[in-house]
Amino acid sequence: MTRLVDVPAQFDDRSFEQFAGAYAAAARDGERLLFDAHATEWASPYGLVGLLAAGQAARGAGSSERPLLTAPTHADVLTYWTRAGFFREAAELFEIHGKLPRVKPAEQSDVLLPVTPVRAAEDVHAVVSNIQQRASAILASELGLDPKATMGFAMALSEACQNIVEHAGTGGWVAVQAYHWRRKLARRVVVIAVADAGVGFRHSLEPTQSKRFGARWSDAAALEAALVQGISRFRDPGRGQGLAGIRRYLTRWDGKIAIRSGTARIAIVPKWDEDVPLQDGLPAFPGAQVLIIIPEQGSTTP
Amino acid sequence: MIQHIDVHAVLQESVSGVYADLVTRPTGRVVRERIERAMATWQYAVTVARIDFTGVGCIDYSCADEIVAKLLRDRRTVVVLSGISDGHREAIEPVLAGHGLAALIERRDGGGELEALGAPEAAAALLDELVARRLAVRTPAGTIALTLA
Repeated sequence: MTRLVDVPAQFDDRSFEQFAGAYAAAARDGERLLFDAHATEWASPYGLVGLLAAGQAARGAGSSERPLLTAPTHADVLTYWTRAGFFREAAELFEIHGKLPRVKPAEQSDVLLPVTPVRAAEDVHAVVSNIQQRASAILASELGLDPKATMGFAMALSEACQNIVEHAGTGGWVAVQAYHWRRKLARRVVVIAVADAGVGFRHSLEPTQSKRFGARWSDAAALEAALVQGISRFRDPGRGQGLAGIRRYLTRWDGKIAIRSGTARIAIVPKWDEDVPLQDGLPAFPGAQVLIIIPEQGSTTP
Repeated sequence: MIQHIDVHAVLQESVSGVYADLVTRPTGRVVRERIERAMATWQYAVTVARIDFTGVGCIDYSCADEIVAKLLRDRRTVVVLSGISDGHREAIEPVLAGHGLAALIERRDGGGELEALGAPEAAAALLDELVARRLAVRTPAGTIALTLA
């Protein structure tokens, strides 16, 4: 029997909860999953890497067959997903249904980094090297960031990717895109999205932190410990620098970070956003999904 | 005697490919271990090690911790960082401050003047110690410069 998971028409970090709920319900009994994106009209980088993480989890969750994916039917959407490098990665995870266009992943466009696998430290080197070549001009000219901020951006990206390598216990994906965010800010933003279907923050921190938290230990407590308190699973006092560094960078450039793991989601919310700082009791979704948004500089009144 | 260590060259020997960025903890660990080995096996008694970051692109927080903080924490010689860009500082400074450490930075203008970066108290103590050991002098302009060439 095949269980259906609908991919939202507008698939971003907000509609991700709808997707995670559908995934959690469908994945319950280990049947083969069909991810239906035929009616999807738009997906953010977060949606794309999140869909890959779902495919990764579904593939490793009991069913011997690869999960199915119905590709979007709208030609523009298909072209964009292809240019964003999604299908190159999805082909390994899903049995894809639908006609895919022959388009190369983007070389020069708002796709600053196409969907890129992150499995080892070597991949992080490649990501950082590529982003510096491609993003410098856009960060400085279009977002009005000080040219010095480009290196900070690469640092933040590196640390976000390293979370996969060091904590997930499996591979994941990263994507970076610049776009005009009409809904929220009416200005340009650069978005980093990172996702994996690994062990998640709670499992990663459990050996060193669960006793300290006692009965309060949960996905939400683990996220708070990692992002707010800078706690790492390693006892080395230098650990935990990565997320702290990302926070510093985002504070300076009025950016946002949100991390979802298991049944919880935490966000450092800038003034221009109305996100909820901490949510618990969300539908269970494997691994960790990180969203970083850096807005065009200047007034960011919503 | 000042030992000169070219971090970019060490990085090139340490990672495959042609990457110029000091990113990821495993890379930082390999680079630091190579630096430590170079310092341990140098033919002269090392008093000052000049760790030169010229040519290094981005340094992330993990590498700043793994290389700079750990070299300073386990120090047997005076470590001076040179070729440090503003971007490098952005990663190194908060990492050092978090550890309560300070590092000597050789200014990029080539005058050999030093400043201390990191936790303020540790920075002041580091400069005082350097002067007391006569490894550096306070110049008439109020700056600090190495006495060794």
